[in-house]
This record gives sequence, structure tokens and C-alpha cells, in this order.
Amino acid sequence: MSALQEQFVSEARELIRQAADDLIALERAGASPERIDRVFRSFHTLKGSAGVVELPAMSIMLHAAEDLLASVKQAAVGVSADIIDSSLACLDQVSRWVDDFEASGALPARAGEEGRAMADRLRSFLPAGQEPQTKLHTQNSAPGGSEAALPEWVSHLLEDERDAMASRMPTHPLAASAICYEPIAGCFYNGDDPLQLMRQVPNLLAFRVEPREPFPPVPDLDPYACNLRLLAISAADRDEIAGIFRLVPDQVRITNLSPNALPTTLALANNNRTLIEAVIEAQCELLRVSNRKDDFAGCVGAAARTAANALRHGDYPQLADKVQRGGGMALAQHDTGVLLAALQQALVALRNARSTVIVDDINGPGGTAANTPERPADRVLRVSETRIDALVNLVGELVVAKNALAHSAKRVDQALGGQEIAGSIQRDYDAIDRLVIELHSTILQLRMMPVAQVFRSFPRLVRDVSQQLDKNVALMTRGGTTEADKTIVDRLFEPLVHLVRNAVDHGIESSEQRRLAGKPETATISIEAFRLGDRFLVEVTDDGRGIDPAVVRRKASEKHLLPTDELNALTDENVIDLVFDAGFSTAAEVSDISGRGIGMDVVRTAVEQIGGRVSLETKAGVGTAVRLDLPLTIAMSRIMVVETSGQLFGISMDAVSETVRVAPDRISQIKNNDGFVLHDRIVPIVSLAELMKLPEQVKEATAARLFVVIEAAGRMAAFEIDAIRDRLDVVLKPMQGLLAGARGYAGTTLLGNGQVLLVLDVKEILP
Amino acid sequence: MTVRRSNDGTLVLEGVCPVEEAEPLLQMLQATPAAVVDWTDCRKLHTAVLQVILASGTAPIGPCGDHWVAEWVTPKLLQTRPGD
Repeated sequence: MSALQEQFVSEARELIRQAADDLIALERAGASPERIDRVFRSFHTLKGSAGVVELPAMSIMLHAAEDLLASVKQAAVGVSADIIDSSLACLDQVSRWVDDFEASGALPARAGEEGRAMADRLRSFLPAGQEPQTKLHTQNSAPGGSEAALPEWVSHLLEDERDAMASRMPTHPLAASAICYEPIAGCFYNGDDPLQLMRQVPNLLAFRVEPREPFPPVPDLDPYACNLRLLAISAADRDEIAGIFRLVPDQVRITNLSPNALPTTLALANNNRTLIEAVIEAQCELLRVSNRKDDFAGCVGAAARTAANALRHGDYPQLADKVQRGGGMALAQHDTGVLLAALQQALVALRNARSTVIVDDINGPGGTAANTPERPADRVLRVSETRIDALVNLVGELVVAKNALAHSAKRVDQALGGQEIAGSIQRDYDAIDRLVIELHSTILQLRMMPVAQVFRSFPRLVRDVSQQLDKNVALMTRGGTTEADKTIVDRLFEPLVHLVRNAVDHGIESSEQRRLAGKPETATISIEAFRLGDRFLVEVTDDGRGIDPAVVRRKASEKHLLPTDELNALTDENVIDLVFDAGFSTAAEVSDISGRGIGMDVVRTAVEQIGGRVSLETKAGVGTAVRLDLPLTIAMSRIMVVETSGQLFGISMDAVSETVRVAPDRISQIKNNDGFVLHDRIVPIVSLAELMKLPEQVKEATAARLFVVIEAAGRMAAFEIDAIRDRLDVVLKPMQGLLAGARGYAGTTLLGNGQVLLVLDVKEILP
Repeated sequence: MTVRRSNDGTLVLEGVCPVEEAEPLLQMLQATPAAVVDWTDCRKLHTAVLQVILASGTAPIGPCGDHWVAEWVTPKLLQTRPGD
């Protein structure tokens, strides 16, 4: 896949999300001109992108959607739920195709058909007799109505180059022409240089060169046979252009376009600017009113990012860079004023641009950007996850190597008596230790991302599910800027989907029931993320009927989740926790949405897998709140898996100094314990089997014995084991439930085969 | 010569590249189809030379030193590159 195609895939996904968000906002918050315009822009940009990577099926479909939205914009068609549904369905199709395109570099074979079917569905909303917008243009542009429509190549060129043309459009084009130049094969022998003719075309707006016939393979190519077609659109009149091509009139077709054929592009360029100005003004306003000291960086960062994105979207990359630099400086100087000044300057430049259309650069009169020495811009870099992970791994290894250095320092001290050298190594170790810890946390920061990305899918989900169930539900999300490790944010999605679906399906009552209960007819579900110390909390709250402990008790007894006496002994609070049990579902009937008896169980498993906990609070008639308590980062621990008496245990690699095989004759009884000498130190032997109260395996007296030498909390011991099985990077989960009080264990982790591995807390078990 | 092979095998287009350069460029591309074309120092590109580049499907190291080509042709070239 080329860089261009990769860029398309990532941009398209972003645009799809944006368009879906906008559509839902349109439906929920009403059809203001700005919102309609935003939706239109999203589809328009998406269509443009599809054109760039040449996916005609996608273009056809999006073109129809764009026509529909254009009619909505012109108020020819009112926004209806059906239109929103179809537009969302269109986006779903685009999204599937983008996945296909990413996977195979092409759309599926039936994409053309599907695209046309969807286009027909979208066009069916257009008022009868109204032609699609672009066709209207082409008709308008036919000179004197002598031609019914423009030749196909002109329409295509206009369509494909629309965005490129928008940025080059003069303010008031007086004329416009389309040029199709097909030089004869022997033109090079006549001394023609077709590009040279094109270079002379004034006010060029769009240009394309393509082969007339597919090029033969390189070995068969005749370099002097011209096989090119050159297409162009210019804002010059036909006669002027005809003059340039006067020597090759037989090879060129020049079509007169009415300048009105190009109005949307210009209108869009201006609309675009209005929108961008609005976005920037909103950011200024936010910065002025925001006095949140706790999230200064978040506010400034978000404002700079939003404004810069809007500018970049409108093709003002230089302005975008300046704004972003302003954001960086504001952060560095801890002063919102710097960013405000940069935003104001961008506004001035944009307003000036109204008269000149193309902005090359800005340096507002007396503007701060011109006077301040430029700092490197605080730019966002897209880096693939694997590269970051490689860094994380490297730092992990650095931590291990660093630990070895501490060990060496001790050995120098003890073995050679070189206190001075040992001291110097220790100092070096301390310095490296500090740096490595800092490096480690900085690199982990790279993986932090805002949870907003996950939240974005939920307005759509809630809309679809509540529509399906005929319930009125409003969704509120808060704390989208809260950041957590990418893995956690990614894995949050699935449990949240279950929780939100459950809430809509089971939690929220029907409108009728809500009315009878004296509640507002529109129910509210909120998803809120926030940080509490080093924990990352996400709460899903609904104001529905709550969970009735009596119902849970009855269900649990029906499903024999617990013996009756145990069930009776549980308090109401504990009974509620049974909803997280595998195979529990409180819904009277299994529905399409949730309630297959797996939902809450899946939530608990998914959350525990990333080292989190789930808790639930509910009040009958008032609502339910589910709290996911998650770590901010996934703390990976490196462990060694050892086996003793047929049982596996994990030992943190930080504690392991080495593993040795020792012949029986080297082992001697020292005081009343066995031990051996290693690097001139006596290492006491501890049988792990004995420590863990496992039956000891009988060993041959002559066989070498295997030990893991442990050093922790200043003590040293050799754990005797049967075998070393593995070294793993794992996410350690703290001991929970009945085992929470068990001593000697640092936690548990799941092995690849699903087996639970107990990881020892060596500090605690060292005798 | 305005089309030459550099020491590292790159096919370098320099200065004005007239119609006559189409054939030598094609021959070099035929000899080493994987060779990279560098046109950053090309001041003016003839249509015939451009056609060879287009037909070979190579993606030259850009931007093209011929500003008109850089502005109007290069993005399209990337799109028509076969094999992607």
C-alpha cells in the first residue's frame, strides 16, 4: 500500500467518525445551517479522498449522499430520521470498504452494485424531478443551451479536481474552459512538446495527464510514440486558449464552461473560511473563560489542536503551524495569552484572505509571531504502535541491565574489597537508575491517549439501540480528555459497549413506564472518565429502573448459581454482584441487544484482564451505576516461570540474580541448613516445594540440582526448583476475593493456555 | 548528458531534459527496472521524458525541479504508479 493510500485509510476513518458524529448531532440537536454544513463538509471531503485513491464505487455513493445533503442544505428537503438512517448506512458501507481496501488494496467485487444501490436509496429522498446537484451545474454551463450536458470527461474532471480547484479559484472568474488535448502518436517527431503548450495556458485550475491506451510493459515501450491525454480546466476563455493550440486544432477539444459551473467550489472555499473562523473564535472564547488551573495543559493543548486542525482542514497549513507553535509556547510559558495572540492573528489572516482567496503567509502587523524568535513547533507525530512498543521493550531490558549493575557493585565491594570502586559504580548506578526510571515513564507517556476516542462511538450506539427498542435516551459523556495507556483505552471499548447496551436494554424503562413513575420521558445514560490518584475510573450511570435484589435472588436460585442456603445468607448488596456471574441474565427474555446471559460476565473478565475491577451500585427505581476501576498504565512485569513438584510459579525477574546447577558434592550443611558457595558467598538453599507445602519430589542423589538465586531486600537465597519453564512479560493482577489476604503472593496472571499462574512475592517468602 | 546514472545507481535527471533524453532514460530503466529516478535537479522536462517515467511506473524522488511539473503532474504520478 502506498503512503497515499495509507493516508487515505487513516483519514477516511477519521472523516467517517466525524460525519457520523455530525449526523447524530444534527438529529439530536436540530438542523441548524451550521450543522448541516458541517455534515455536508464531512461527506464532501470523504468523497474527495475516495476520488484521490480512485475508488469509483465509493465516490458514486458519497456523491449521492452529498447531493442529498446539498438539498437539505438548500432546504429543498427536510431532515428526517430516514435520511439520517440512510446517511449513516452509507457511512457504514464506506467504513466496511475502507477496511476491505486496507486489507486487500481493493474494494470487493460487488462494490459497484452496492454503491449504486446505496446511491439510489439516497437519491430517492430527493424531491421528484430534481436533478443531482452536479448535473445541474453541468447543464447550467452548457453554452446557450446548445448542448444538453457537458461531455463526460469534463464532468469527471470537474468532479475529481473540485478540491484542487477550490484553492486556486480566482475571486471572480469571468470565464472557464475545459481542455482535452490528445497529441497524435508522432507529435514528438513534429517537434511538439505537449506539456509546453499546457504550460502556456493561463489561469490553470486543474490538470491531469493520463495514458490514452494502457502503457505496454517497459521493454516494449516506444519512447517516441506519444500515448498521452492531457486534460485541463482553466479560468480563461475559449478563444484565448484556442490561440495557444492553434497549430494542433485537430488534436484538441476546448469546451466553454460557464463560470457558474464552478460556483460551489468558490462558495465552499468561503464557507470553509467562515467555519474555520467560527472554530477559532470558539477556541478563543474557551481560553478566555477557562480558569481551570488543574488542566491548563489540557485546555491549551486542545484549543491549539482544534484550531490547527480546522486550519489544516481548510488548507491553511502555514497558519495551522503558527497556531500550533503558539500552543507550544503557551504551554512552555504557562500563559494562555500567547496562544490567544496566535489565534487572533490567524483570524486576521483568514479575514484578509477573503479578498485574496489564496493565503501564502501571514505576519500580522506587529504580530507577536513575527517578533518572537521561532521555536520548533510542537507538532504531533504519528508513530506506529509497534515502534513505541519496541522502545518500551528496550527500556524494559535497560531496567534489567541496570539492576545487574547494582549487583556488580556489591560483588566488587565484597569480592575484591574495592570499596572505592564499588562506591563509584554505585554512584553511576544511582544516576543510571534515575535516568532509566525517567525514560521509562516518559516512554509510557507516549502510549497515553485520551479516552474520547472510545467515547465517540457511543452516541451512535445509543441512538441505534434506543431506536430499535423505541426508548428515548440521551447520552452524556464527560472527561473525554482523561488519558490512559492505549491498551487500556482500546480494551475499554468492549466492556463499555456491553454496559451501555445493558443500560439501554434492561436499565431504561419504556417511555410509558417512565411517565407513570413520574420520571422525565427521556432517560439519561452518562459515561464519565476521571482520574483518582493512579487509577483511571470510568462510570456508566443510567437513571433507569435499577436492579431489584429480589429478582436477582430469584434468578440466581432458578439458575442454581449458588446453593439455596448460601444464597439466603447473602446480603442484598452481595446478591447484586451475582449479575457478574457467568450465565446470569436478568432480562426476562433474551433480546437482540443484550441479555444473552454473557454481558456482565464479559465486562468483568475484560476489565480484570487489564488489571481492573468492576463494581456496581443500584437503587431500585432510581438507576444503576457501574464503575470500572482501571490502572492508568499497564504495568508489565517480567517474570520467570518455574516448576516445582508439578506446580508452576512465577518469580519476578527483578529478584532473580542468576540460575545455577550445582553438583551435590558442592552442597554442604551450614548450621542447620543446606547451602553452597557462589561467588565466594554462602547461599542458603530453600526448597520451594517445602515453602509452598507441596510434596517433595524424590531426586537422584547424584544428579545436579537446579537453583534460582534470589536477591531481595538485602537477603540472598537459592530456591530449589525442578525446572525453568519460561520467561514472560505479563500484566500482574493483585490477589482478589478470598485470596486477597493470602501472603507470599505478588499477584496472579493468566498464562497463554488460560491457566492461572501464581506469582510469588519473594520478599515475603524469603525465610 | 542530462540523464545519467550516478555512482549509487540512481538515474539522475539534470537541467533541461529535451526529447532526445527519452530513449537513454528508457534504456537505463530497461537495464535496471528497479532503479530510482531523481528529478529534483531537472529544470525542464519534455513530455516524452515524462511519458517514459509514467509508463515505467517508477516514483521519482521528488519534488520535480521543473516547478510546473511539480505543481501539476507529481500528485497524479503517484496515483498512477502501478503495483501499489
